[in-house]
Order: sequence, then structure tokens, then C-alpha cells
Amino acid sequence: MAIDLEKLLRPVDHPVPPFPPKFVTLANGEEMVIRQIDREDIPALLPHVAPLMQVERDYYDIVSARLYAELLGFYRHRVQDEYVLVAQIDGHLAAIVNGRLLNPDVGVSYHTLALRRGLRIGAHAFAAKMEYHIDIMKQKEVLIVAESPIGFRRWMIEYQLEKRFNVAHELGGVPSYALTKKLFDRARESLVVGRRPVPEKLLEKACQAILPPTDPPKPPFDVLAATRAMYDSTGTALRASRQKLEGGMSK
Amino acid sequence: MREVYVIGLGITKFSRLEYPLIEIAAYPSIMAMKDCGLNSVDHVYVANMGGSRISHQTALGSALVDHLSLYPAGAETIENGPASGASAIKQGYMAVASGVHDVVMVTGVERMRETNNLEATDFVASLAHPLAEQIYGVTLPSLAGMFTRLYMNQYGVTEKHLAMVAIKNHANAMHNPNAHLHMPITMEGILTGPEASTNNPYVADPLRFFDMCPVSDGGVCLILASKDVAKKVKRPMVRLAGVGQATDTHCVHERENPTDLLAVRGAAEKCFKMAGFKPKDVDVAELHDAFSILEIVESEEVGFFKKGEGHIALEKGYTALNGKLPINPSGGLKAKGHPVGATGVGQAHEIVTQLRGEAGARQVKNAKIGFSCNFGGFGNNVVALAFQKEK
Amino acid sequence: MKISILGYKCTKCGTIHYPNRAICRKCRNEQFTVEPLPEKGKLLTFTHLYNPSGDFDVAILDLGIVELANGVRITGQMKIDQPKIGMKVVGKIETVRESGYKSYKGMVFYKA
Repeated sequence: MAIDLEKLLRPVDHPVPPFPPKFVTLANGEEMVIRQIDREDIPALLPHVAPLMQVERDYYDIVSARLYAELLGFYRHRVQDEYVLVAQIDGHLAAIVNGRLLNPDVGVSYHTLALRRGLRIGAHAFAAKMEYHIDIMKQKEVLIVAESPIGFRRWMIEYQLEKRFNVAHELGGVPSYALTKKLFDRARESLVVGRRPVPEKLLEKACQAILPPTDPPKPPFDVLAATRAMYDSTGTALRASRQKLEGGMSK
Repeated sequence: MREVYVIGLGITKFSRLEYPLIEIAAYPSIMAMKDCGLNSVDHVYVANMGGSRISHQTALGSALVDHLSLYPAGAETIENGPASGASAIKQGYMAVASGVHDVVMVTGVERMRETNNLEATDFVASLAHPLAEQIYGVTLPSLAGMFTRLYMNQYGVTEKHLAMVAIKNHANAMHNPNAHLHMPITMEGILTGPEASTNNPYVADPLRFFDMCPVSDGGVCLILASKDVAKKVKRPMVRLAGVGQATDTHCVHERENPTDLLAVRGAAEKCFKMAGFKPKDVDVAELHDAFSILEIVESEEVGFFKKGEGHIALEKGYTALNGKLPINPSGGLKAKGHPVGATGVGQAHEIVTQLRGEAGARQVKNAKIGFSCNFGGFGNNVVALAFQKEK
Repeated sequence: MKISILGYKCTKCGTIHYPNRAICRKCRNEQFTVEPLPEKGKLLTFTHLYNPSGDFDVAILDLGIVELANGVRITGQMKIDQPKIGMKVVGKIETVRESGYKSYKGMVFYKA
């Protein structure tokens, strides 16, 4: 009985080519590997995504909350045709990107979560995702939405994505944009960076284990501290204890 | 005119500080008062540029006096664009040198990360000319980009030289616990490697992402005092020996010679004259490198190197931490951070720390004379300060 | 009615100022007459700004400083594909920025 139910509830994935891993050299000289992961690697990712749900700034909370749901959906076989790519620096997790195929021609980009700031890691990871959809899976276009204004500026305006406002993006019906093959080819030089094949030692280290991110955004002392602080007229005592716990402005 | 000494120092980490603006000003001020052991000051100057626009709070001088219970000391808020910090120090200097006050507190503070990047850039762009520059969408990076292109065309500075400045300053900041960015960068990663165009994209060509300073929050405090007070307090005797300021045209296109920074030249000349030093006497300098090109050009205009040879000196390693004339041992604005109002005070803080011999891993050996240059607007109001260590 | 960018000519020494100021830079006279600035000039320097202000819909804003025929310099936007330092340009007055309900007209330079 249980097996039959599971058959009903579990979608069947279409066969698609895997993402061939690539590597890039970052601004600080470190090398980052971007590779695709399977369902069995998801449990290793979830503990690194969860704490970010408490980080309000730059929309980390909403992006990580939604990404968590998508990763879990992928793991538990409740989303069709989803893929997940991770970026690792010396084995340590640096970014997670994911998306899925709506149909053989149209892809949907889900999220890009950068766990280390200041090195344009998000830009590299997003570009890898687009390469996967258009160059490797040979799709005609990818639907994209943005939660954060940074994302909006960088991707919608910079790549001059086409508006697809009549199409409701799965993530919540917000205005969606599309990266078509034509736009991708035009932006190819800045989008398709990275080298293949990944040197053996580098790839081995990355595939061995997904180590915790080295410098992820940290949640504040209290939840929603940033927005609450603006209206918190009685917050004086709270701030004093917070300063003590956080080490004040010397940290 | 009396002699003026720096007797107390305080600084926050430059980064994203999620505290109210006044607390970011109060914290280093308390540190500075503890440093010199004083419980009161005669006057408070607060240097700040964006409090009214970003935090919707004006009259920070008065607010700080209240927050620190320093009444009835007088207070003012000094605004001079990105040169607010050094301007406030200049005011403090004049107050003590003239004999009106014996001890003054100069605090620079800025909280820019409260809003998003677009708003922060817009706010800094407000110092451009409203009718001849702002209406076109001119922002500080675009002015720097146009200036850099001309400079590269005329003097042969290349993108590699700009990258060298950033790499040097990032390396220096690794030894500065208060710096915003603690991340070494490599030439391969930002310029010569195959992924450099994504790692280091153009922002206002020919300037790239790693040629621009980050947006930071921060607060710094200096306590200035007369010789008598300084002697009593028993802190190292570091004298603020010279102060110079000069201005130039508001619009960048109206400059006499578009590759000259006459305000920097004038300010440095006046400062050295008052202090009685020559540029070659300087042991350590903090130059305002909001854009990497500015460190090169300022090093020429203040007199360290001949015009057009700043990048050659950089290549030869003269300005590295272990070079003949270390520039920006703190990491400069590029890696230490640029909380606009606090920067000038931050530069002075670094110079005094160096002259006191308290700079730890980034200490410049035997530093006796230090110099800082705080660049306001885009070179239309510059304040230069010179410090000397006395026995 | 033709709109032009106006230069401010000192009535005593004839120096043309752009933008205006209250006192002449050369002779400190306080009286000026207005006269339209020429539209032809040569491109002194330029940049492509990749992070323009929120008011702008475009991803990249092209800006330049031009030295006009009478020696006066002006900052403006550019609509030139391959700009080079020293190239001849000609300016047109167009809407350059829209901020809320306000719209501003200024000089946009094209290849001459």
C-alpha cells in the first residue's frame, strides 16, 4: 500500500546531462570548485542553511528559508526535475544554487545563496546555473525572479532580461524575467567563466565532504533585531546586554 | 599659538555596526577618555556627513555631549564631505592652539550601512554640483573613473598599478584588527587570471570593483590637549605639528588642469610650512585612497614623489609596509574602510598609533614624523595634517 | 523655443563661466550676461558607470567631459559606441534624468 502511494506522490525526473564540474580562481587567489550534488548530499547542506534564516539583512532570511524548503523537497522526492549545484573552497561550502526544469525548453531558476561575502561568489554561482540551463541542458530560456534589490540590479538590469510578467514564477507570483539563449550568448563573455576539467586533487577534496562555510553571515543576538531596533523605544536595556554579549564595537 | 598634543585615542571596528549612530560615536569617545584618564573635556567636535540623511539625526555634537554626560561642554557638528574628519581635527587644533580651550574631543562617526548600496552611493554623490553634475547621474566613482582615464593616458599609469595599490592595502589591513576587510587579494585573482573579469568587474571604467573602497560604518575619537595637560596625563607626547587646507573648483570639469589636484598640493604645502617639515622628512603617511588612483596621485601632489612618478615608486616597493615611505599601513580606505565622516579622524588615529609605537604587526620602525591627507569632495577641499613624536 | 545650456559671461573681463557663480573667477566682477554654450567640442575623458543611481533604468551610464569650441568645459552624458579621448563630438539637449515627478534636461554628446 505504502509503495503504491509513494508512486503517486513521487514525480518522475526526466533524464538530463549532469553538470560537468568547473573551477575558478577568486580575487584572493583561492580556487573554488562548482559541482552538482545528489540527493544524498542534501543532509550535509541543511545545517548550514538553517542558521541563515535568522539573518535579516540582504534578505538572507527569506532566501535561506525558501532554499531550505526547496532542498528538502528535492531530497524527499517531492519536486520534479530539480538540480542543486554547490560551490566549495578547499572543501568548505561557499554557495548553493538551485533550479528546476519546467519542461525541456524552459527552466526555472530558484535561488542563489552565497555563504561567503566580498569575493563575487554569488556572481560565479549564478553564472554556472545559467550555463547549466542554456549551454548544457540546451534549454531555450530560464525564468528568474529576485528577492533582493542587489539581485534585481545585477541580473535583471545588467543582463537586460526580458520581462515575462504574465507568467507567474513558482516562487510566489512576483514579476518574472527570462534569460533567453540570445541574451545568454550576448553576455557569454562575462557569464561563462571558469575552467574545465577540474584538477584531480581539487575535485577529490571537494567531493570528499562538504565542510562548513568559513565565514558565513551570523545571526544577531535577537531575531529581527535590525528592524526591531528602529522601533524599539524601550530597547535601552536590551542594547546594553547585547553589547556585552557581542563584545561591543571592537569585534 | 600654543602647542597641541594628541593624548587619547579610541576606535571601533570599521564594518557593519548595527547600533544607533550616537552609540557608534560614543563607544570610541569613551575609549579615548579612558586612554588619557580624563573625565571631562572643554569642547566636543563631531565630524559626520550623512547623519541627517541616512539616520535622520542632526546636531550630533549636542547629542554626543548628552550621551556621554559631558555637559556643559560646548559642541559642534562639522561637515566637510569626506574631509569632515580632518576638518574637525583642524577645528580642535585651533581651539587649543589659540588658548580658548585646554582639552577638546574630536569624534568622527558615520553609519552608512543602514541603507542599501544605491542610497549610500546617492548620498555621497550629493557633494557633486547639483546642476552641472548631479543631473547627469554623476557619482563619485564616475568622476574618479574619468580622472583615472586621463591620468592613465597622460602618465602611463596602468590597471596593474591600480591593482598593486589594492593588493598592498589589503595585505596591510591583515595586521589591523579594526579594518573592514581582512582578506588578502592576488594579482591573478583580480586582474591577470581567467576569471578576473567576474571577480573584479568594471564599476566606472577604467576603475574596477577592487579599486573602490567599501561602504563602512565606524567611529573614531581623538582627544587633543595643551602641553600642560599632556604632561600631566603621562601619555606619549605626540604633537599635532601642522594643519593645512586648500580648495579648488566644485565641478571637476572646471579644474585648471584636469590631471592636477591643486587642493592636495596647496593643503600639503601649508601643512608642511606650519610644521616646519619637508615631504622627505615624513616616515609614515595615510593618504585618502577612496579610489586606488588617488593614493598614487596624492603621493605625487603632496611632494613625496615627482608628478607622474607615483606609480613608479609604487612599483619599486617604496610605499609598502617595509618600504622607504610606507603609505596606508592601516590598509587605507580600501581595506580599512571608509565611514565618510570618520575617515579623517581614522587616518590621524593610525598616524598617532604609529608614532606612539603601538601599531603591533604593522608598526613602521622608528616612525617620528607622520602625515595624513583627507580628500573632500572630489578634490575640491583637502585637509592635511602633520604629526611629530617628541621625547 | 530652443533650449541651450547657458554660459555666464563676465561683463568686465569676458571670461565665460559654466556653471554660474556669483563672482567672476578672474576679476571678481559681480555682473554677468548669459549666452548659450556652443554645441561642438572635443571629448576630454569619459567613463561607463556600471552602478548608476536608482533613478536610471539603464544598467550602464555613459558620462564624459567635453571641451567645447570656446574653451569652456562641460560634463554630460554620452551616446557614443566607441569613445576615444580627443574625438570630435556634438551635443544635443535631451532629458537626462527623471527623479520622481521632476525631469532634468542636459547635454548628451554624440559623435560629430
